[in-house]
Amino acid sequence: MEKLAFSTKVLHTKPNKDDSHRSIRYPIYATAAFDYASSQDIEDAFLMRKPAHSYSRITNPTVEFFEKKITTLEDGISSVAMASGMAAITNTIFNLVGSGDNIVASKYLFGNTYSFFKNTLANLGIEVRFVDHTDFEEVEAAFDEKTRLLFVETIANPQIIVADLDKLSEIAHAKNSIIVVDSTLTTPYLVSAKEHNVDLVIHSTTKYISGGGTSVGGVVTDLGSADWGTFPILAKFAHLGKMAFTARLRKEIYRNLGSALSPNTAYLHTLGLETLALRLRQSSETALTVAEYLQSHDEVLKVNYAGLKTDPYHAVAKQGFNKELYGGLLSFELKDKATSYKFMDSLELVRRATNLNDNTSLIIHPASTIFCEYDAEARAEMGVSEGLIRLSIGLEESEDLIADIQKALAV
Amino acid sequence: MSIEVEINGSKDSLPKELSVAELLSIKKVESPEMVSVELNGEFVDRGAFADSIVKSGDSVEFLYFMGGGAK
Repeated sequence: MEKLAFSTKVLHTKPNKDDSHRSIRYPIYATAAFDYASSQDIEDAFLMRKPAHSYSRITNPTVEFFEKKITTLEDGISSVAMASGMAAITNTIFNLVGSGDNIVASKYLFGNTYSFFKNTLANLGIEVRFVDHTDFEEVEAAFDEKTRLLFVETIANPQIIVADLDKLSEIAHAKNSIIVVDSTLTTPYLVSAKEHNVDLVIHSTTKYISGGGTSVGGVVTDLGSADWGTFPILAKFAHLGKMAFTARLRKEIYRNLGSALSPNTAYLHTLGLETLALRLRQSSETALTVAEYLQSHDEVLKVNYAGLKTDPYHAVAKQGFNKELYGGLLSFELKDKATSYKFMDSLELVRRATNLNDNTSLIIHPASTIFCEYDAEARAEMGVSEGLIRLSIGLEESEDLIADIQKALAV
Repeated sequence: MSIEVEINGSKDSLPKELSVAELLSIKKVESPEMVSVELNGEFVDRGAFADSIVKSGDSVEFLYFMGGGAK
């Protein structure tokens, strides 16, 4: 399978067990539990001695099929799908980090991830050391012997800062740590995380992978490079070698936190994967056209999009991303909050909503929404100004979007 | 000469020392493409199945990690 192209792999990854009717589309196993031929069989299933599902909070055939496709696309060893992207992040951290440990994380993060790191983890005795991940000396200096992982996003949102994964992996590994990357905005189509020596890759599958905002989900994939024997919290599972991370996650953290993805959602996500490359290509091409238009407009103070040759992250993205595509998310700055609101309220095609990578173009004012729990000073530290607008480009034609934006900027 | 081993917690007898790959075959293990193997408490890499030898007194576990693994 490794030599097949992206969409061919998506379509031809086989389930672990064929559907009994050999249906072309793998069915939704909408069940909580599974029947066994004998009491011994159910004991064997609980002891992992039998290839059988026991309860859909732990595994389910439809979810497993979706996980297997993600594992194949990432060239990893295992994936665990979750109820949301935040569930994928929280489960991953809880699986690797305990009280007294610390993690190093970019200060440029999705607002809820930042909140989890800054508030939730602090209350549990886990320190998060926020750094500017484009400053490699600062990143390197933040590690100590208790640092379990480095966490960054491929494209930090809404600042649209592109991570140099090769360099950051090198730093994390030199410190005997690992690197965990949120690749939601790039998906495995744009970033082959394993080729950049990433250890764990996470996606909020709610975005592109769901088919374009159809449903909420997340996934974490172990790319097979980490030595889990160095993690004290995984000691009980260390004898399982490369599978230690997945084993503790599946048999303890994910199971106990009740983070399961529903089989109905897994079905939609599997369907979404089939058109991922088509949609991502189109929205990336349109995003570049729109970014170029915005850059030429007098009312726009600044445009953040790595596809622009003048963007400070263009070179890193060109080197790190596949297909010379840069994703469908951009941000730009107008004069202030009032100007931003007037512009956004004048749009007719672009919807005002908090999601991204939907098939419909979506727009939001991050400072007053996703980052509203922080004061202006904290927002400025995170690069979220009062005039910053995030625009997620969908599948509309670029000329229609530009006409809508042009009209709204003129109001 | 046969050897005595323990497989999935039960005593068993094998005709001779066997590789893990041969053991999977002789025991007709269910879904061999999905199975993981522990030999004396240590995980055996799938690529080492042919070279890992099960000897007298060894303990073998066949384990299935249900969920989306690719290899």
